[in-house]
Amino acid sequence: MVERIRESCLICQIVGNRVPAYKIYEDDLILAVLDVNGANPGHCFVIPKNHYPIIEQVPDAELANLFGVANKISSSIFEDLKVQGTNIFVSNGIPAGQTVAHFLINVIPRQENDGVNLQWKPKQLTEEEMSTVELKLKESIQNIGVEKIESIEKPKTTQEKIEMQPQSISDDDEEDYIAKQMRRVP
Amino acid sequence: MPEQQGQQQAPQQQLSEEQIKALQEKIKQMSPEELKEFQKKQCIFCQIISGKVQSKKIYEDEEVIAILDVNPANPGHLLIMPKEHYSIMPQMPEDEVGHIFLVAKALSNASLRALEVQGSNIIVANGVTAGQRAQHFMVHLIPRKDNDGVNFQVPQKTIPEEELKKISKLLSKSLGTKAEKAEITPIPKIPKQKIVEAEFKEKKKSNIKKDKGKKVTKNKETKEEIKPKVENKKTVQIKKEVEEKKVESKNEGKEGINLDDIARVLGTR
Repeated sequence: MVERIRESCLICQIVGNRVPAYKIYEDDLILAVLDVNGANPGHCFVIPKNHYPIIEQVPDAELANLFGVANKISSSIFEDLKVQGTNIFVSNGIPAGQTVAHFLINVIPRQENDGVNLQWKPKQLTEEEMSTVELKLKESIQNIGVEKIESIEKPKTTQEKIEMQPQSISDDDEEDYIAKQMRRVP
Repeated sequence: MPEQQGQQQAPQQQLSEEQIKALQEKIKQMSPEELKEFQKKQCIFCQIISGKVQSKKIYEDEEVIAILDVNPANPGHLLIMPKEHYSIMPQMPEDEVGHIFLVAKALSNASLRALEVQGSNIIVANGVTAGQRAQHFMVHLIPRKDNDGVNFQVPQKTIPEEELKKISKLLSKSLGTKAEKAEITPIPKIPKQKIVEAEFKEKKKSNIKKDKGKKVTKNKETKEEIKPKVENKKTVQIKKEVEEKKVESKNEGKEGINLDDIARVLGTR
């Protein structure tokens, strides 16, 4: 079912039941656990069971489902924990604050003055700088062939569990290549 | 979040107290459909989506639009919004939620390649307490570099075991799964590891060799010139610069792809 469980990856250890955790949701490809050192009680991680370091490597169908689950958890947090807000937070890459090499989505229940700060100081850019960024991004989107993103078929719910053959992942050249690279890492 | 300040161009009328009261009364009596329509009229982002207010559009399809934030945390900060008006994420249908984050993934990919950044943050705020300022649900995509001055704080608190048990029961019940009876040990902190320089370089070389050919063909197919609708002197100048840079990077024989590098750096930590 889940192809690669990595010895070096803590999240993979949790997925493989080698490290105990408070699970709140599980299906064939997705796991959600409570963070024992969370920012607030109820802070959870939504995790793909397969090992993908960053969001760009997560296949579309899995990604759509991951955020679907994150959204459900967010709704449940609103109702069950009686909080006034939730944050969904993803750190992608070390400069963004990612600390584990396994993609995960943070769902954080929020209270007033809870010490969480996801605000920023706006940077003032000139009109020219904005136009440069605009052009660069537009060009980049065309280069990687993202003109229009097709919606994935309705994400499967908890009941209709996902049946996905692991071969479909290993067929993908790039995935396989990255996987090889990752295995070489000590 | 501060994106509203610059974009708030709709006329704001000063209302007397009586008018406000009357309005509140009116809102109370509205049906959900009417209320939605009313919110839509008041929403600056709905006006951006319909084109009544100008913005720098980066991406658009039937459901979703992505624009540059006028008060960005970093250059390239994008707001990805559903065209339909929703205040918070739990209101959105499941397939639209999936779709908007697929767009976020693609745009994150695009900005990693285009803006020489090494990471990105995806942030959603549901509710004022969570830092939501705009009435319109949106996903923030913020490109990140080392020492870029953006400082998000997510404190690590020690949550009492009792509370964890209680919450996991509550949540797993409403999510339709049974609470797992596992022995609980706290997640160990991950020690920082040094990146081994020599190995990193070696892998980088082999990576470039393999990547050649594969990615370049992709470029040829999709390469198209960008034609901004309004070309003033400045944009033409910028366009030239961008093109020059593109040629330069091609001459070097390197692809502007740092995805694999990023993944690898993470792996070596």
